[in-house]
Amino acid sequence: MGTLRRLFRNETNYNFIRAWRWGAVISLVAVAISLLSFGFRGLERGIDFVGGTAWEVPTSQLTVSETRDVLRPLGLEEAKIQTVGGDLVRVQGPNQTPEEVATIRTALADAAGISADTVAVTQVGPSWGSEISSKAIRALIFFFIAIAIYITWALRDWRMAVGALVAVVHDIIISIGVYSVFRIEVTPATLIAFLTILGFSLYDTVVVFDKLRENAARTALSGTMTYTELASLSMNQVLMRSLNTSITAILPVLSILVVGSVILGATTLEEFGIALLVGLIVGAYSSIFVATPLVAWLKEREPKYREVRKRLGRSKGEVIMTSPAEAADAREVEAHRLPTTTRPGAVPRPPKPGAAAPTVIPPRPRKQRRR
Amino acid sequence: MRRAGLTSLIAFVGITVALLVGVLAAGWAPLLGLDLQGGISVVLKPAPGTDPEGLDARLDQAMGIIRNRVDAIGVAEPDITRQGQTIVVQLPGVKDQERALELVGTTAELRFRPVLAAVPAASLETTTTVAGDGTATTVAGESTATTAVGDTTTAPSTTPATTAPSTTAPSTTAPSTTEAGMDSVGGPLAPGEYAGGASESAQAATTTAAPTTTAADGATVTTAATTDTTAPVDPTAITARADDQADKEVVLPSFETVDGKRTETFRYLLGPTLVSGNALSDASAQLTQNGQWLVAITFKDGDENIGAWRSAASACVAKTTTCPTGQLAVALDGEVLSAPTVQSDFAGVNSATITGTFTEREAKDLATALQYGSLPIELERQQSQEVSATVGNDALRAGVIAGIIGLVIVALYLLLYYKILGAVAIAALVMSFGLLWAVISWLGETQGLALTLAGVVGIIVSIGVSVDSNVVYFENIKDDMRSGRTLRSSAERSFRTSLSTILKADSVSLIGAGLLYWLTVGPVRGFAFYLGLSTLLDLVATWFFMRPAVRFLAQTNLASSRPDLFGIPRHDHEPPGGAQPPTPSSSTAVPV
Repeated sequence: MGTLRRLFRNETNYNFIRAWRWGAVISLVAVAISLLSFGFRGLERGIDFVGGTAWEVPTSQLTVSETRDVLRPLGLEEAKIQTVGGDLVRVQGPNQTPEEVATIRTALADAAGISADTVAVTQVGPSWGSEISSKAIRALIFFFIAIAIYITWALRDWRMAVGALVAVVHDIIISIGVYSVFRIEVTPATLIAFLTILGFSLYDTVVVFDKLRENAARTALSGTMTYTELASLSMNQVLMRSLNTSITAILPVLSILVVGSVILGATTLEEFGIALLVGLIVGAYSSIFVATPLVAWLKEREPKYREVRKRLGRSKGEVIMTSPAEAADAREVEAHRLPTTTRPGAVPRPPKPGAAAPTVIPPRPRKQRRR
Repeated sequence: MRRAGLTSLIAFVGITVALLVGVLAAGWAPLLGLDLQGGISVVLKPAPGTDPEGLDARLDQAMGIIRNRVDAIGVAEPDITRQGQTIVVQLPGVKDQERALELVGTTAELRFRPVLAAVPAASLETTTTVAGDGTATTVAGESTATTAVGDTTTAPSTTPATTAPSTTAPSTTAPSTTEAGMDSVGGPLAPGEYAGGASESAQAATTTAAPTTTAADGATVTTAATTDTTAPVDPTAITARADDQADKEVVLPSFETVDGKRTETFRYLLGPTLVSGNALSDASAQLTQNGQWLVAITFKDGDENIGAWRSAASACVAKTTTCPTGQLAVALDGEVLSAPTVQSDFAGVNSATITGTFTEREAKDLATALQYGSLPIELERQQSQEVSATVGNDALRAGVIAGIIGLVIVALYLLLYYKILGAVAIAALVMSFGLLWAVISWLGETQGLALTLAGVVGIIVSIGVSVDSNVVYFENIKDDMRSGRTLRSSAERSFRTSLSTILKADSVSLIGAGLLYWLTVGPVRGFAFYLGLSTLLDLVATWFFMRPAVRFLAQTNLASSRPDLFGIPRHDHEPPGGAQPPTPSSSTAVPV
């Protein structure tokens, strides 16, 4: 049975515990690089953040050096000139008086042989950027508080809130790092995209945590595995979902990036696309490699799970994975143990003998119908 | 059970289709934001150091002024909103950026200007004119009204302002402008007519008339000398905003609003400003004992404040050349709000009342305008953006094409992976998209809420969220079936578990969208709104479509005979005997 096939059947049995160690190393290195780069190089901020004027000339006739020649006599030697998607020239310079802006606009239009109307001008005052950034940061802080409260309430565990938030902060730091290291310009579109990613990363994390909680309530109390093992197991169970949702989320974003910016040359779409792609990848990674192990690590410190660990005679962090054969044994054992589940009214349902059960988790007990 | 599910399914599809057809039949389409159709957006904020007193009301007033200005140039769908202390002005389809910036950026000043002549707007077409203020408003109480309008009008052509002490250099040049103005009538209107009209009006208003004709004649004589130095004022053509300056003569209209319809009532030829709005310290609407509304105003101390007012008033009472009609107009932002006749010289008093046939609303509006005039807000430009129509269209086209291609790829993936269930997921996506289209069109049509590029991205991203709900559900079904259940029994059970997960995860998205909407400005808001909206619609589609659809399919014979068509591994629900035990996978599992 190939890996893909096992994935399709949710029958993977990857040892996430080992992978998590690597994950921790990779994350720490990435965070360190990001912070260092941000600290020393900072971010390439667009005019929306620093203030200035931008002219967008829809033409394929002008090269960067030609454009610079046009601008030189107008005192804009220092302007930043880019060609975008082959048919747009973008010039960014400091703030100007309305007359200067109009003169430059006309000069650019003349050079490109188009009417001045088609040259789009954007002007940003020096305080606008700090205004939107400070508003966004304020929104972010409130967002974190609200999410922490919500997750603590919905999943009834503050550790999960901690795990989710640390994962999100991790995502933000690494996304900033990517922008800083590769000198990608930060625009309001980038900001929006990052905020999206936060929501998306949290969505993913919440789905994983919900599974974890479900499994913990059902199995871990019977004391057959430590929380870390349980987490690895849950991860295997939701792996396909995580992969599927990440793929279905990344596909439209790739489409935005490739179709929107590369083929059709829409600048804003490109800005969105890059940020979303970076964020989605980091977000998918952090749900699996940051949020979940952190919760497991925190949970292992709970007396309940310390007890389990002691009883199972495993040292801290020992790598434990069950083979399918063992899983079958465990299932046998569990079939007897299950009645001790805390869930009131839960009726254990022993699995059909011989049914393929790649995990040690027994089938979900039938829930009482809610009234 | 089966029937109930089917009813809900059919009802949901029916309602969605009906809404969509309704929206399309009504010809509604999503209102495109500025970045998609081209136009100009300006973000304004009060300049640092702006007096915080009553800032909210003054900002609202400033917004009203901007709205009037924008309406005057006929922008199709202007969107002027306030977000905190920030005013965001969006003018789709406007091309002339300089003009637009000048429109929204300049601070409006309240000015008291003497009325030199007035023409009812209705008569402008035929050029038959009647002078005087038809609304019969009067200033201050005690002294009795002196009515004569025309008796001093001869003056302008000869004596430069001498009587009004407050008027300085500018006002002395003014009279000559009048001459020039009268002359310019000679161009478009034929010289005699305005004069004739004016004299008629003077008669109508009561007394001696002829002088005005002389004024016009005099003007024709003197023009040659004056036209070069002063801009001519055409008393029938409203002065352009750029030329509406405190020290110039201007022609401004007055309006009245009846049943929500704004019509021009009078057109005034006004002299240079005698008193500025800054001179006011307070204004309020009051109800008198006999049930009439009046506006009480108080002036600040000082020569340029109450001093200026007193000298203007005495000029008007005496009907000198500076204020020949005795009326002192209140002009704000290219519009005459009221043109009361002055009835006292206000010696020794700091306050005045404006009386007339005001409704409560009119009195309050005037009071607000006067109050604003005492402390006009200087707005500072935070950001101005212009998107050319071609760039906007390109962005829209790129966004739509990218969205469609993204959707097709996702659809193919779902079909390949989940087969029939994948088709259900696609149908659910189509349904929620149909609903979204209807809602966006409705919002655009009725609320003027535009769909921006950020919104389009929000929607594309929400495809991912919607698909996620489906994937969570399907994987749960697969899980359940692996433990031996049939598709039929797991469909409903798994839905319950999945719904709880989906609700939790969607709540996170909704909290995020809500907070972003409340706490941010500009494009981030649009994005948050559409992300929240499509997340909500995803929940609706999951509950009303997905659940009954999967439940219905699970009950068909196909579900029990060909589960592989549902993307479910085959052997999982075969009778125990026939099941193959899974091959042990040594590659990834680590035995203890």
